[in-house]
Amino acid sequence: MTTHSIFGRALNTALPAILLLGLVLSACGGAAPAEGTLRVAFQPLVQTDPATISSDTEVFVANAVYDYLVDVDPDSNVVPRLATEWDINDDGLTYTFPLAEGVSFHDGSALTAEDVVWTFDRLRDPDNGYPTADLYANITGIEATGELEVTFTLDQTNPFFLYDLSDNHALVMSSDTEDPSDFNGTGPFVVESYSPEDRILLTANDDYFVDGQPQLATVEVIFFSDENAMVDALRGGQVDLVMRMSTPLFESLQGVDGITTYNIPTGGFDLVRLRADREPGNDPRVIQAMKLATDRAAILELVQQGYGAVGNDSPIGPIFDAYHDDGVQAPERDVEAARALLAEAGYEDGLDLTIHVPNSGGRPDLAAVLQDQWADAGINLEISVEPEEVYYGENGWLEVDLGITGWGARPYPQLYLDTMLVSGAVWNESHFSDEEFDALAALAGSTLDDQERIDAYSQIQQLLAERGPVIIPYHFPQFAAIRDGFTGFQLEAFAGRTDVHTIGTE
Amino acid sequence: MTTTTNPDLASESAAPVRGQRWLVSLRALLRNPAHTAGLIIFILFLLIAIFGPMLAPYGVNEQIVEDARQAPSAAHWFGTDRLGRDVFSRVLLGARDIFSLAGLGTLVAVLVGTSLGLLSGYRGGLFDELLMRFFDSLLSLPALLLALLLLGTLGPSRQSVLLVIIVVYIPIVARVVRSVVLSVKTRGYIEAARVQGESSARILFREILPAVLPALAVEAALRFSYAIFLASSLGFLGVGVQPPSPDWGLMVKEARDNVSQTPWALWFPAGAISILVIAVNLLADGLKTLFRVED
Repeated sequence: MTTHSIFGRALNTALPAILLLGLVLSACGGAAPAEGTLRVAFQPLVQTDPATISSDTEVFVANAVYDYLVDVDPDSNVVPRLATEWDINDDGLTYTFPLAEGVSFHDGSALTAEDVVWTFDRLRDPDNGYPTADLYANITGIEATGELEVTFTLDQTNPFFLYDLSDNHALVMSSDTEDPSDFNGTGPFVVESYSPEDRILLTANDDYFVDGQPQLATVEVIFFSDENAMVDALRGGQVDLVMRMSTPLFESLQGVDGITTYNIPTGGFDLVRLRADREPGNDPRVIQAMKLATDRAAILELVQQGYGAVGNDSPIGPIFDAYHDDGVQAPERDVEAARALLAEAGYEDGLDLTIHVPNSGGRPDLAAVLQDQWADAGINLEISVEPEEVYYGENGWLEVDLGITGWGARPYPQLYLDTMLVSGAVWNESHFSDEEFDALAALAGSTLDDQERIDAYSQIQQLLAERGPVIIPYHFPQFAAIRDGFTGFQLEAFAGRTDVHTIGTE
Repeated sequence: MTTTTNPDLASESAAPVRGQRWLVSLRALLRNPAHTAGLIIFILFLLIAIFGPMLAPYGVNEQIVEDARQAPSAAHWFGTDRLGRDVFSRVLLGARDIFSLAGLGTLVAVLVGTSLGLLSGYRGGLFDELLMRFFDSLLSLPALLLALLLLGTLGPSRQSVLLVIIVVYIPIVARVVRSVVLSVKTRGYIEAARVQGESSARILFREILPAVLPALAVEAALRFSYAIFLASSLGFLGVGVQPPSPDWGLMVKEARDNVSQTPWALWFPAGAISILVIAVNLLADGLKTLFRVED
């Protein structure tokens, strides 16, 4: 017993001394030492190879440990990161990137252009089977045109190529990488320890090439499998930052002392779509009737509790400032007009349909609200709520007539059009095929003339409002809550891309 | 059959005939206030299940946007949930759900379980041995685990939940019935019936079944209360009845995410489950006492 207490006391006096010594030593190191700890609550990490990451946690950790060639700021502008600038030649097909000097990987080796070439070759090689292979199919060549200069050559012009280079997976890795999960990045933080299913501890990279970053000494990403527990931990002071949570939880944090909440709109949305290639959806009057039977303001209020934004049935949401056309509105609710259209289409006695819904987010709620609203117009819905792995499994969601699908935030709207609505697109769940739409989407996706692209997007929104196969009732909000005492927090629409290296303590 | 219109006659009669015995039993049951309460509440819930659609002030999925997330008030006795649905109406309408699921499930399980138990106990031999070992293997799994396994393969739906209740409870009922059969079948009057040359079916249903009935009634009531629990638990876990149906367990699950905003949407369905389960348990307890007295 006595030895115990003596040891205890010795430790009690020694510990502050050791800590103090540590502080003094680190203060001697260089200018403006990183200090403070940020504890972030997140879902557990599953994938650690940057090429296969997808969840918020995975991207958040990767963005702290590695660097992108170019980054996208919260206002959707492309900004330099490892590349100090970029030069695009006149035909828009060659991009040259000089790299920052003095960048080294955590294992000490220096970053060269070869590492960038290796990274992107790995991501775009179809044999590797990474999701980025399609995204980068337009690249014809990547070359190291200098010790610290990389040149990309494209097959066709792509006004969004810089955004593509900042895809979540496009984190620059060392060309010597043997184990892609080894966390050997050039990023602002170094992985100190990783206990799967518990936490990952990141410490400041003292040799980071950007002056004044990172500001925090340590970042602890603590894993929670439950949102309620995350928010409880935030309230109780066990964590400092929670990103992405349900609306009721977010509401419950309003006005809580010592906690600041953030709420921004995103480009993501839930989509109600009717297959356009067979009955009843091959008659455009049916989807029109559905649009007329829908009360979007009520849906936003009930399903999203007023957070987010009302949609206009096109994926080009209000967050895409430059491209969203405020003049294009989805029709006001008009039950009589909906009934009349249905009758014209041959459904004067009403229309019975099954709506397939994945059991996640607000989707079952959206289905319940639609069931109530559409019943007034004679559209009777049977709701089939399915676990996500059933809904998306074996591509069942691409087969069903009527379904609700969640689409996450994308950095630019063309990605939605090319994967969702263009004829034969890989996730064209509504089996929509419209020549005029295809031509407009192709034009918008290739022209280097900004005005031409803005006009094309405006026409696309008009076209979709008139005869599109989808109803986009709202765009999601993104939530975050952080304890007081931190600076420089800038929430991104995709929460995982929120930079941790700009966060500091007061 | 003699008339049963005069209860006094029945109670005073030294050896009441069949129809009158029920009234005697009812009286004995009503002598205990707890059992009475159980009976009354049970009947109340049963009436709600039958007449719920007539009593509910709002539709089951009717959404009132401007009243969303309101606390209990004169307009909405139990408040409204996150989608502006009247919780009182949903709880009322959910009664039918739980009775049809747990009630029908129990009924089928009791019918099948009783038949198998009777047959197994009476015939004995290899059939008995095989059936009982099979049931033992089913019973070795906790009911909820077995239910989750089944639902995992069947997929969540009303029919699946019904099937799960039936499959989970058949072995239990069969075992209880079989044990009673085993103790009864050696008695003299069964011997006598056999010697008289009565058919097996006749002996099973005319001679043995009446002896099994008291235990069976108690068991059925208990099973019903567990079935309510099971159905609600599955709804709560999200693998049972699917939204937007007003299943109480599902309502609790959905309200749980919004508990900080609309706690009443959780209290009332949860309360309904507890009250009904307690009532049915009290009733089962009453039946047990009753039959013990009669024995």
